[in-house]
Amino acid sequence: MKFSIVIYAAPYSTESAATALRFAETLIQQGHVLYRLFFFGDGVHNASKLTVVAQDEINLQLQWSKLIEEHDIDSVICVSSALRRGVLDQTEAERHELGTASAYESSEVAGLGQLIDAALHSDRVVNFG
Amino acid sequence: MSCLHTINRSPDSKLLESCLKVINADDAILFIEDGVYHCFSLSNLPSIIETVKLYGLREDMLARATLSKTMDRVEVIDTARFVELSCEHDKVVSWF
Amino acid sequence: MTENANTAKPIKSRITFISRSAPYGNNRANLCLDMALACAVFEQDVNYVFLDDGIYQLLKGQDGAAIQNKTLGNALETLALYGIENVYVDQQSLKARGIDAAELLPSMQLIENDAVSKLIENSDTVFNL
Repeated sequence: MKFSIVIYAAPYSTESAATALRFAETLIQQGHVLYRLFFFGDGVHNASKLTVVAQDEINLQLQWSKLIEEHDIDSVICVSSALRRGVLDQTEAERHELGTASAYESSEVAGLGQLIDAALHSDRVVNFG
Repeated sequence: MSCLHTINRSPDSKLLESCLKVINADDAILFIEDGVYHCFSLSNLPSIIETVKLYGLREDMLARATLSKTMDRVEVIDTARFVELSCEHDKVVSWF
Repeated sequence: MTENANTAKPIKSRITFISRSAPYGNNRANLCLDMALACAVFEQDVNYVFLDDGIYQLLKGQDGAAIQNKTLGNALETLALYGIENVYVDQQSLKARGIDAAELLPSMQLIENDAVSKLIENSDTVFNL
């Protein structure tokens, strides 16, 4: 089946982003297709690469990025949520003259149209917030 | 057209009450994260019509030491089964 | 259950938004509205339901400027402009909060719980926040 996953929750503040990550990993293990990840609202912080965590703790942002790259997943950070929270890819950082990108290259900054497209082309949309 | 509802907050959130207002008889409820605190006491789990299947996520119960307290009415499942249930139902509605 | 990954839904999809949060205190009401407006641009079949604390978004006379915010009530009046005509308010949520329908913005259809169940049942995708 084709799944899309929407993540509304920031990492660490609640368990939701970690649950979403486990769900994503599991559905891929089972041979399903992850059509798109969509990070929305506070969820965009999951794509931030300027993070440091203690050695004995999971780095959720890094885990997301690894999963996305390993399985070539289409991962989208909502542009309106991301810009106001300082999660920028190289293009946006240059456009707004803000120096360095803060988002993992594995995700793309794009609009809500990508969420609607995901709803139209997936068998299941699962929300985590 | 059945639906899998997920609930991720404790009974204080009243998410279950909201969900029950609009649930259909052939739907199922999966308690995840703090939602698993619904699963171990009758006072936390109001009478829900028998046809609605109830599930709880094992990983979250293990973390919170609630697995052994879980009532028989609730079937304990893992994330792999969570994915399967998402396929078996027509859609997933998340309450958070 | 495994299925062919090529099974796609028809390009016209029925998507229901359940807006359950009061305005201003958090951004859920805005996120929900943004998703629905994006959806309408794609000419999808959209239902918009106000449930629980979500009905507070509909009170007349809001002034977001008092807290340096956009007035959400004004934005909701634009739902119809975007072609979202199926806008519903859960009667029981009103009653439970002592709000009279006359205190709400116009062109809302009052419905009962079982009608909300039906909307969910007949939708391809449900966003609930």
